[in-house]
Amino acid sequence: MSAAPWYWAVGGMRRALGLGAFLAIAAFILGPLFTLLVWAFAGSWLFPNLLPEFSLKWWSYVLSNADVGKAIRISFISAPVATLLSALICIPAAYAFARLEFPARRALLLSFLSANAFPKIGLYVSIATLFYRLNLMDTFTGVVLIQMVNTLLFMIWIPTGTFRGINRNLEEAARDVGAGPLRTFFHITLPIALPGLIIAALFAFLAAFDEAQGTLIVGTPNHITMPVMMYTLVLSYPQPVGAVFSVLLSLPSLVFLIVAQRYLRAGYLAAGYTL
Amino acid sequence: MTPSRRAGALGLALVLPPLLLLVFLIVLPALTAVFDTLAPLEGGPPGLTLARYAQVLGARIIRADITFTILVTLASVAVVFCVSYPLALYLRFVQGRLPAVLAVLFTIPLFIPVVIASFAMITFLVNHGMLSTILYRLGVQRFPPLVYNATGIVITQVWANLPFAILILGAGLQAIDDALIDSARDVGAGPVRTFLAIILPLNAIPTMITLTLLFITILGSFTIPYLVGGNAPQMLGVTMTNYLTQYFRRTDAVTMAVIAFMIAAAVGAVYVASVSRRERVAL
Repeated sequence: MSAAPWYWAVGGMRRALGLGAFLAIAAFILGPLFTLLVWAFAGSWLFPNLLPEFSLKWWSYVLSNADVGKAIRISFISAPVATLLSALICIPAAYAFARLEFPARRALLLSFLSANAFPKIGLYVSIATLFYRLNLMDTFTGVVLIQMVNTLLFMIWIPTGTFRGINRNLEEAARDVGAGPLRTFFHITLPIALPGLIIAALFAFLAAFDEAQGTLIVGTPNHITMPVMMYTLVLSYPQPVGAVFSVLLSLPSLVFLIVAQRYLRAGYLAAGYTL
Repeated sequence: MTPSRRAGALGLALVLPPLLLLVFLIVLPALTAVFDTLAPLEGGPPGLTLARYAQVLGARIIRADITFTILVTLASVAVVFCVSYPLALYLRFVQGRLPAVLAVLFTIPLFIPVVIASFAMITFLVNHGMLSTILYRLGVQRFPPLVYNATGIVITQVWANLPFAILILGAGLQAIDDALIDSARDVGAGPVRTFLAIILPLNAIPTMITLTLLFITILGSFTIPYLVGGNAPQMLGVTMTNYLTQYFRRTDAVTMAVIAFMIAAAVGAVYVASVSRRERVAL
């Protein structure tokens, strides 16, 4: 029997996923984004030219638009508020899920997956009919609440996994030398858990910041966030306007990637999406 | 109170606030939707009624939208799965520079809002867009339209959902012990046999989770069909949103929402069963 691992023998797969396939996948993923980026700096771009006439005129057009300014403001207030509120209520709950014994713990933890069991748009339509009755339509509170539909899952599951991964002996050692439960939490558990909590908060922020379809339903017409504004820009403005705005809208994600680089491992990514 | 009961009470108290929010944002709206659509009609006979469902499903346009939704969703799930499984296998079992680059590359759509992804895809695929320019330069002048139709929806869904599928499938493959694979080889199993007899069954639960979550996500999508899809037939997400916000026919919109819930419920049952089996192992 040869010492080579089994997959070396899968010659077909190796060849198929060789350079050609790799380039095709790279082109598929990057092509649309690259095209969009070029459009953001295009004055006009006529077929069949491979590149446009470059110009920055659409940037001043977008940045001087009052509606854009308002959307940026609403986005950068509502998403942090949604993230903070969910951190405030979810992190203690996550600690309880990880460390305390209580009835129906497992069922309650699983119940936070229930948002994934609904087709999102159906859920938003249902929430809207409830919000009509509670006069929450077209309010700031309504927008924050709809964004929290997406933040809860991240803020419960990632911190629960983080707290669970902390060695209990460290906490018990602190208790043994006389630290109370609160002191132990703030001086031992919290600092160790911080990277995981930061990742959870960043995921939650992006989920809130990028939420478009629910906010479109609940926030229209006076509480338009940046992603909701994109719908209008895509459908009724020249291409470069949407492209410029797309670049602005991607900036938080970009910052996130840079900030999170230290903590970002595939494990966390999978945790955010599988659990 | 015993210490363990005190811990139990404290645990429940800490869990209560997010749980109440969950009830308010998910359980209550869903129940309200179901009840509203079944409630007796104004001036009609008392008792629950299916009249609203009969009315919505009686409209030929909406029936066409439902069929279209299911077909596009199934097609998207199939394509995402067929692209992501080989990629997940490749990333798990092949070392080198290409897989390392690919591992970073495939996560990119995760950080791009779907609105932007849809718009980027339009600029890329639209007639006289980037792709048609390149094809034109290469001498290809005629090809079928790739956006504002079902093809565009499927392509964009693949782009947006690829990372998520690869991540879950990859996490499952990562959990498979190399020793098992080596021992299968040692007793003479070929690569195809190793895949079918060892890898596929051991990765069955992540596979189920991936398929069901993909189905529900795509079924409940709005942005991609709204921007990249055509006018009619359209996916149910767009239709129900239009009924709610444009035509002001809230009841019809909610009825469609509940129909979408029903379709997802069948698939969702599989998902919950798979995840709870896995979670039991983890606890």
